[in-house]
Amino acid sequence: MHRKAEALLLETRRHFFGRCAVGLGGLALAGLLDRQLFADPKPASPLAPKPTHHPARAKRVIYLFMAGGPSQLELFDYKPKLHEYNGQPIPDSFLKGKRFAFMDSFTKEPPKLLAPKRKFARHGQSGAWVSDLFPHLGGIVDDLCIVTTVATNVFNHAPAKVFMNTGSAQFGRPSFGAWLTYGIGSEAEDLPGFVVLQSGPRGPRGGSACWSSGFLPTAYQGVPFRTTGQPLLNLANPPGVRPQCQAQTLDAIRELNLRRLAETGDPEIATRIASYEMAFRMQTSAPELIDLSSETRETLELYGAEPGKVSFANNCLLARRLVERGVRFVQLYHTNWDHHGGPGEDLEHSLPAVAREVDRPCAALITDLKRRGLLEDTLVIWGGEFGRTPMGENRETTGRNHHIDAFTMWFAGGGIKGGQTVGQTDEFGFAPVEDRIHVHDLHATLLHLLGLDHKRLTFRFQGRDFRLTDVHGEVVRKLLA
Amino acid sequence: MTRPALICILLLLGSTSAPAIGQAAEPVDYEKQIKPLLARHCYVCHGALQQKAGLRLDTAAAIRKGGDSGPAVVPGDSARSLLFQAVSGAEDVTPMPYKRPRLSEADIGLLRRWIDAGCTAPENEVVDEALSRKYAHWAFLPPVRRPPPDIKASDWVRTPLDRFILARLEAAGLAPSPEADRVTLIRRLSFDLLGLPPTPEEVSDFVNDPAPDAYERLVDRLLASPHFGERWGRLWLDVARYADSHGYSIDAPREIWKYRDWVIAAFNADLPYDRFVVEQMAGDMLPNATLEQRIATGFHRNTPINMEGGIDLEQFRIDSVYDRVETTGTAFLGLTLTCARCHDHKFDPISQREYFQLFAFLNNCDEPTLDIASPDLIARRDALRSQIRVLEEEQNKYYLDKLSRMSEAEKSRIKPEIIAILSLGVEQRDEKQKQAVVEAFKDDPAVVERARTIGELKKRMPKFPTTLVLRERTKPRETRIHIQGDFTRVGEAVSPGVPAVLHPLPSVPQPNRLTLANWLVDPANPLLARVTVNRIWQTYFGKGLVETENDFGTQGEPPTHPELLDWLATEFVAQGWSQKAIHRLIVTSAVYRQASRHRPELTEKDPNNRLLARQNRLRLDAELIRDAALRASGLLQTKIGGPSIFPPQPEGVYRFTQLQKTWNTSTGPDRYRRGMYVHFWRSAPYPALQVFDAPDGVNCCTRRNRSNTPLQALTLLNDEAFLEFAQALGRRLLREALDNDAERIALAYRLCLGRAPSAEESDRLLQFVRQQRESFRQHSAEAITFAGQSESDKADAGETAAWVALARVVLNLDEFITRE
Repeated sequence: MHRKAEALLLETRRHFFGRCAVGLGGLALAGLLDRQLFADPKPASPLAPKPTHHPARAKRVIYLFMAGGPSQLELFDYKPKLHEYNGQPIPDSFLKGKRFAFMDSFTKEPPKLLAPKRKFARHGQSGAWVSDLFPHLGGIVDDLCIVTTVATNVFNHAPAKVFMNTGSAQFGRPSFGAWLTYGIGSEAEDLPGFVVLQSGPRGPRGGSACWSSGFLPTAYQGVPFRTTGQPLLNLANPPGVRPQCQAQTLDAIRELNLRRLAETGDPEIATRIASYEMAFRMQTSAPELIDLSSETRETLELYGAEPGKVSFANNCLLARRLVERGVRFVQLYHTNWDHHGGPGEDLEHSLPAVAREVDRPCAALITDLKRRGLLEDTLVIWGGEFGRTPMGENRETTGRNHHIDAFTMWFAGGGIKGGQTVGQTDEFGFAPVEDRIHVHDLHATLLHLLGLDHKRLTFRFQGRDFRLTDVHGEVVRKLLA
Repeated sequence: MTRPALICILLLLGSTSAPAIGQAAEPVDYEKQIKPLLARHCYVCHGALQQKAGLRLDTAAAIRKGGDSGPAVVPGDSARSLLFQAVSGAEDVTPMPYKRPRLSEADIGLLRRWIDAGCTAPENEVVDEALSRKYAHWAFLPPVRRPPPDIKASDWVRTPLDRFILARLEAAGLAPSPEADRVTLIRRLSFDLLGLPPTPEEVSDFVNDPAPDAYERLVDRLLASPHFGERWGRLWLDVARYADSHGYSIDAPREIWKYRDWVIAAFNADLPYDRFVVEQMAGDMLPNATLEQRIATGFHRNTPINMEGGIDLEQFRIDSVYDRVETTGTAFLGLTLTCARCHDHKFDPISQREYFQLFAFLNNCDEPTLDIASPDLIARRDALRSQIRVLEEEQNKYYLDKLSRMSEAEKSRIKPEIIAILSLGVEQRDEKQKQAVVEAFKDDPAVVERARTIGELKKRMPKFPTTLVLRERTKPRETRIHIQGDFTRVGEAVSPGVPAVLHPLPSVPQPNRLTLANWLVDPANPLLARVTVNRIWQTYFGKGLVETENDFGTQGEPPTHPELLDWLATEFVAQGWSQKAIHRLIVTSAVYRQASRHRPELTEKDPNNRLLARQNRLRLDAELIRDAALRASGLLQTKIGGPSIFPPQPEGVYRFTQLQKTWNTSTGPDRYRRGMYVHFWRSAPYPALQVFDAPDGVNCCTRRNRSNTPLQALTLLNDEAFLEFAQALGRRLLREALDNDAERIALAYRLCLGRAPSAEESDRLLQFVRQQRESFRQHSAEAITFAGQSESDKADAGETAAWVALARVVLNLDEFITRE
């Protein structure tokens, strides 16, 4: 009875593949109609895998976003000189022409240098400095490329997060994950290509702007996954709808839509049919994904994951499960790293607490990916939207202010040269003295590892070819294996 | 058709000289009088960028030298000068400017006098390339109204627009599609003009109306409906980047719905577009500005506001002025001014200096909140507010003191979220958070007592609406160029001004925001009318005549039908900037009324349907999907305007925002109002709107995406709000149709799709209903839940559930969310 529709599909096949630019389209169409209808097994869909510009070293990304701005001076960038100068005003030459968040706290009195609060030691064969807040990471340091000289442009949380994600402090631009899925699609058949996970006391400042598709089609937008209850909004059938009823409903919708397709010849209906198919599959695949009960006790313990909890540890394990299923870009937000010294944000207790929450899971993720052979083509990124000042900021206790000139991020996996610390900051950790690496350079480098030339990954909007790196960005060769 | 290259040959064949009539001997100034007129009319083909027929006219020397056909002038003898003959329309000469309007008599007179006086010009004149560039792009030249072209199939034509469309189709050897059937027509018109589907009664009235002007009367009825302002007002709110919250990280709520009401009312009243623009840009500066005119300035108050701690307020004020400049450029000029913020525009003739000259107009406003109440009421509110403020600060100080005196052990018993709230300033906490802190300290009588007093004062607070507006400062700010757009690096000072490529600013002693507004609506503006009619066209056909609706610059797409675009633009002005006149014109055209069915031969010849040999099927906009379901289910509340609403949304939307938002789900009639009234949080928009590509409320949006994703399917299938629509529709079928499955299915189709089902469709759904009935009768608990049946409801739950299931199918059809 669908002969007419099928004939029409054949007829408009070329048209369909050429035009179906928006929607998850053809992925599932083959499951819907006789596969033989289509000589080409991969009809054009916005999330279908696409060729890279050059051979890729990494095929997917797990981005551990430490929201709030972790203090590099208590974690990675060891500055013994700060002990010597503790409590002394920072020389004016450092501050000239500089601007900071909470400026008034620095203009009331000259800001004073603050000694690191933690003990540091060298770790691994590479002898990288890591503080006692990260004992587990210290154990896998030879897999990491630690960069102590990352620089950004903006020093307020929301614009800085948006900048780190989109290369622009202006809201409304596409994020890294959106650019990547736009550029090379996804290999996930039953899940979105770009998934966002959240842990910690609150969501990241900036909200959906951090994983926005901006002016790219919304198919490339990051999809937030909840890790308890229903992972996706509206994933569960309405109350009272049994699986059989849902299947019968979808059958009826599909058949009536096919008739309409035959009637109108509009290939957009074929995409709609495919979207419903994929939605139906997601209803099974997404709950299966977040159900950690199939993981071994050993794995759960490795991460410190507890099924049913909202935690960074669970999210790290979920990230591995997501990339195993072909998801292209997984971004984990963990709050709160904003240690100004106020209540709940001090360097003495709050920082160690949040460090403890991430240390073991991060190390476990690297270990787990490695033993499953996934690390070699999975890029793992760790870092916040900026770092913190060498000078103390006096609130209830002495904390540190936002700092954009030099802060630490680390990278591991696909194409990254591990076992090295790149960059050298001055004796106070204020600014890079060598290897300053700007956010735009990082974006260029990461895209390069993913097989994309940051200058060629463009989208025309309002008369201009936009890129993730705007008009900047150099690939940093030192980071590459 | 005569080629312009022929002109000079023809000219050489002979000319009749117009006798020089006695004239004033006032000398003509080449630099001031001749060069500008040549630039405007001739440089596009005969300037630095192009030299058609080898001729350039951008220096006096080049004019004397001439082109392929010899000198363009004979100094001292205009009658024998090719240039003069061409512009004055001498016989046997291709009239110039080629295919463009004739020069004014005054200009022709100037040229004649200049030639007759011997073509004097300054020595060593140099080529001014910028001047050529300025006049080289079609969109920077005024629209030209040409008569609609002749066509063969004139019986197809209903409006002048159709001639332009048909001429291109005939040239391409394509026939237009037949007119759509009446059901499709009324459904299309209702969605396009009102954003709502027609009721079955409206459909049958129209289908059975034998009058020859049935369609036109329908159009008039719809244009007069107050829902017209909702439909078209919402599209304008996209441009205005409307939202109900401040954006950025805190994303606190804001009250600016009075502006939304103003927009709806303006569309309904068909406020002439020039006034529509002026009132939004500078309504506060009009003489004796009315309350409504001040509310209109909310247009440029829709910019986000950053309330994050520790920021430099000036930085974000400047960001909002950038946004205003750029939105003004996109909305009214179709220009990508953003490019010129950091450097001279790479493609269009707009310098960074000119960008900041525009900036200077918009840099002088304060941003007050307008109280919409009597002065007494306002004074009472202010007094109460300051009392509350004092108490709240006192309370806060008390909390912090208490906290600082606590031991670590005591402190650790306080929940981290309370500590986090206390780290915010008092003004950054919302009511819920304040309440949570009081709750945490509820054992302290001092806290409870103060909270009680505050509560009492709050109860006495008079309630009235407010809205965000602009107010011009008496003393303007100095505007300086920001080097590379960086607000910390200032360059030279600039005064208000407009890009030289466009029409000049009216000369007033102190140009201000109102001057800019008046300049925008100056009929000499080559862009405003074109950009506006193009956006209207785009809504009716899916794409504009200029596909890059936000870029009319040199990098934009040229119009598919340039003559039609210009005809519409000039018609718009001629009709007194009446938007409704343009709407009527377009929707009564034959091109609009075509069927949208795909045709294989068109797929080959015009795959993107740019020639419009058929209509386009368009997926409904996000809000309209909700509206259509509300109307079909009978739940729709048609109240227009007022504060935003909070219909049901899924759990967990705010797990990804910094602050938990308040979402007190509406229970009364507000629950069933149109999608355009749904409260829009910028950091976490209402999911059912976002998933169907509603704009983000941050950037000026002139065209929505139309994506097609699995998340949309999940929304329509499973969302609580849509389930409620299905339940209401299912009950409606049981209530209103005859007790017969086929009748009920037919009613579902008429309510949702406007049409009757085909026999095959009906059979398929009959089978489905039987299946569901049987299954739900076996699972009565599920039936009761799914049907949303209350205990007092004695109806057969299995039967109700079966019809709810059927309603759910129809509400999920592609056709339901598509304008055919």
